[in-house]
Amino acid sequence: MNASSVVTAAQRVAQWRSAALPWISLAALAALPFLLPSPNFVRLLFTTFLWVTASIAWNLLGGFAGQVSFGFAVFYGMGAYTTALLMNAGVHPIPAFMASAVTAALVSLIVGVPAFRLRGPYFAIATIGISEAVRVVMTNLRFTGGASGYRIVEHRPFRQLEHYYSALLLAAIAFAISALLVHAKFGLGLQAIRQDEDAAADLGVNPYTYKLAVHALAAALTGIAGGVFARYAAFIHPGGVFGFHTSVHILLMPVIGGIGTVWGPVLGGFVFGIVEEEIVASFPQVHLLIYGTLLILIILFEPGGILGGLGKLFRRFRGKR
Amino acid sequence: MTLVDFTSLVVSALLLAGIYAVMSVGMTVIYGVMKIVNLAHAGFMMLGAYFALELFERFQIDPILAAFLTFPAMFLIGGVVHWVLVRRLPHSDEPTLPSLLLMFGLWLVLQNLGYLIWGNTDRSIFTPRTLSVVNVGPIAISTVRLVVFVAALVCLALLQAVLHYTWFGRSVRALIQNRYAAIITGVYEDRTAGIAFGLGIGFAGLAGGLLGSLYSFDPDFGRAFLIRAFVIIVLGGLESISGVAIGALVLALVETFSILFVPAGYQLAISFGLLALVLIVLPGGIASLLAKARRLA
Repeated sequence: MNASSVVTAAQRVAQWRSAALPWISLAALAALPFLLPSPNFVRLLFTTFLWVTASIAWNLLGGFAGQVSFGFAVFYGMGAYTTALLMNAGVHPIPAFMASAVTAALVSLIVGVPAFRLRGPYFAIATIGISEAVRVVMTNLRFTGGASGYRIVEHRPFRQLEHYYSALLLAAIAFAISALLVHAKFGLGLQAIRQDEDAAADLGVNPYTYKLAVHALAAALTGIAGGVFARYAAFIHPGGVFGFHTSVHILLMPVIGGIGTVWGPVLGGFVFGIVEEEIVASFPQVHLLIYGTLLILIILFEPGGILGGLGKLFRRFRGKR
Repeated sequence: MTLVDFTSLVVSALLLAGIYAVMSVGMTVIYGVMKIVNLAHAGFMMLGAYFALELFERFQIDPILAAFLTFPAMFLIGGVVHWVLVRRLPHSDEPTLPSLLLMFGLWLVLQNLGYLIWGNTDRSIFTPRTLSVVNVGPIAISTVRLVVFVAALVCLALLQAVLHYTWFGRSVRALIQNRYAAIITGVYEDRTAGIAFGLGIGFAGLAGGLLGSLYSFDPDFGRAFLIRAFVIIVLGGLESISGVAIGALVLALVETFSILFVPAGYQLAISFGLLALVLIVLPGGIASLLAKARRLA
């Protein structure tokens, strides 16, 4: 009786801590531009939030449902172009972002509908195929300027903080979705599919619709991130937003942080977002080489990423004491 | 379109199919034995092309011969890669998340090593053969394409012979059909998989060397061909060697004739469209169609 009440008290503290951590982080990040009002620092955090959003989105599909995608640049780029076209047509940014989400989700069906009906490597293969195909089409498309890119003209004063808070809000929404999903029926179904698709199907989870739904959700989040980026950058081109490296970045972040966890992709996104520009600036020739090596090393030696590694260290430390 | 035009398009599609088959067959062997999608195939094809180029420029070796010399070198590299990296992956009957990410990382590494070593300028292998033509009646055939086609056929025939008449080939086919049963009957899985992986990489390098005689290339050269190889092996049913030949022919015909209707810049989009179509209409690939026909007969 006594022991059980002690356990519940400890559990309550742990619960309270895990519930408070996101709010504290959010408040800290919201206050940060006032503590360190440097435009460059704010811009770095702004892009980091977009990376975190894309990283969380990739993890919904890759980490929870176990479906590896190499083509998230498609959604990022589609979102960016949708927002750009609509804003130039005079639409307010917020409905433009929503339209980006819808476009990206619709594009996700082009791969999902044929590939998710089958088990095996088809989905991963198809994502590489569509990202190449879409970039080729966008490079040749006349009305978006083709390879020379597309410029966005916004007839309102530029306020960096507005961009900052929209990116922060987006990342917070993505995190909330991911955190609520793990314990919801939908998220549990996805994890069941990852562990054993036959068993999941026997228990009444339809793998096809579940995968389609989570793919569309991840695409929508990534699409909005692309839209927010396009509005800030005011210029986009197929080699950037649809670039191969964009897909590489988006899949690398959750792998670094820890696939299949709630905090892993956030951590990976922050680490990557903050060091990425440094790495590109110091090693312009070999940064993708570094990422590739990192990917190989993580998969072979610490598949749990930073979170997995920290957990191991923590357990070893506690065990020794 | 006249009959002559039509015939020359069919001939050029056929010549293309040969090299497409060589480039995809290595991927099929690796997938069949290990259930690993070799995303690094593109990187190894690029290495093969540069290897042939270096042999040609430094030692004046004929590029076709150089492509054949690429095979043993890439075979060894493949064996080492298997021993160092691929062996450590968890075994599975389905492609796993770690295997996909590992091979993807390997592709990134190879591609960017290529940029580091050879820079990003386009290179090409140019011989007197490159621009010459053989006339067969009213149809003109590029000599180098013909030579590459013959070389491709020779390689495919050799591979078929190895797979059908050697113990190694039997163990490979046994592993493709049923991994557990093969292990029970005494197939040494690790060693067979290692050799099969080397064989697959060797074929990637060989295909790269041959493609290097046909097209200009840079370190990102394999990517467009990687997607074509995917389409071909999915068309072929992923694990069937003879399916690859038919898949290669189908893709080559579609690509060649699509030039009549769609600008050449959109060819990759056509490959993807074909992939989506096959997944919807014929998920088991042509091999399943053949099996069905056999059952009905």
